[in-house]
Amino acid sequence: MRRCSPPAFACWFLESVLPNPYREAVLGDLIEEYKLRIESTSRFTASRWFWSQTCRSVPSIVWSSIRSGNWLISMSIAMGVYIFMGTLKFAADLMLSKLFSSQQMTHVILPPIVFLTTTAIGGCAAARLRRGATTFLALMVMITVAILIDLKVCSVAVPWWYQFGFLALGPLAVVVTPTLFERLKQRGTVT
Amino acid sequence: MKRGELLGSLEYIILLALMRLGDNAHGMIVRREIEERIGRNISIGAVYATLERLEAKGYVSSFTGEPTPERGGRAKRLFRVEAAGKRALQTSEQTIRSMTVGIKDRWGTA
Repeated sequence: MRRCSPPAFACWFLESVLPNPYREAVLGDLIEEYKLRIESTSRFTASRWFWSQTCRSVPSIVWSSIRSGNWLISMSIAMGVYIFMGTLKFAADLMLSKLFSSQQMTHVILPPIVFLTTTAIGGCAAARLRRGATTFLALMVMITVAILIDLKVCSVAVPWWYQFGFLALGPLAVVVTPTLFERLKQRGTVT
Repeated sequence: MKRGELLGSLEYIILLALMRLGDNAHGMIVRREIEERIGRNISIGAVYATLERLEAKGYVSSFTGEPTPERGGRAKRLFRVEAAGKRALQTSEQTIRSMTVGIKDRWGTA
């Protein structure tokens, strides 16, 4: 039997990027058409078609969403979650600095853990409130980290990849965690 | 004629496709109809963005269908043309007709 599930990354990308009114309909239509195409063509051709539709669909839908004013609500939600995340991280940093006295521990080992946890929580909160807000939140996290790297706020000498890890993993945690959580929920592993 | 009453080319094509397909057509069917009839390979995103715009103008209405396993458990969004949409089609068609009277032979020789 031929495997007929569409490219998982393209599906995940659409789920993450498309605003609420479009997501179900667009993804459903693409999956339905993909399954029809895979019967008549090769899996490669069908996947290529799926990817081309994905790449061509996102700009028009995002632009339409911006024009209709939906982005303003998403951005406001992202801003709210961003403030909540900042507060959460500040409280966690304060608490950990009181618990651990070693500078290596509080400046090198714990920050990535706290950062990734807060961004993951923020991503889940934003996705719960409004799916499109996660994209804005990821962008805000990326800009913040880039500014902090530029300002050289880290008081301890760290390798370059350590800082760029924050830049890449922060936005990724915002976008990926809600999707992973949703998939786990669908499989019934999370109750 | 008021400004805004005229349809854009994609709006016009999509409304015509919806008229052809009758009630309860969804995005992919509309996309396929356009591809088969005029050979224009438009993206599903462009179809939905246009349908959304037409719905905001009151030319079409939509409702959610039942989720099916072929669609990965996702529901269809079905569209139908409203009376205002039919009027907009008539207006656009009349406008094009009026503007083309007497000049059709000019591009026929090009």
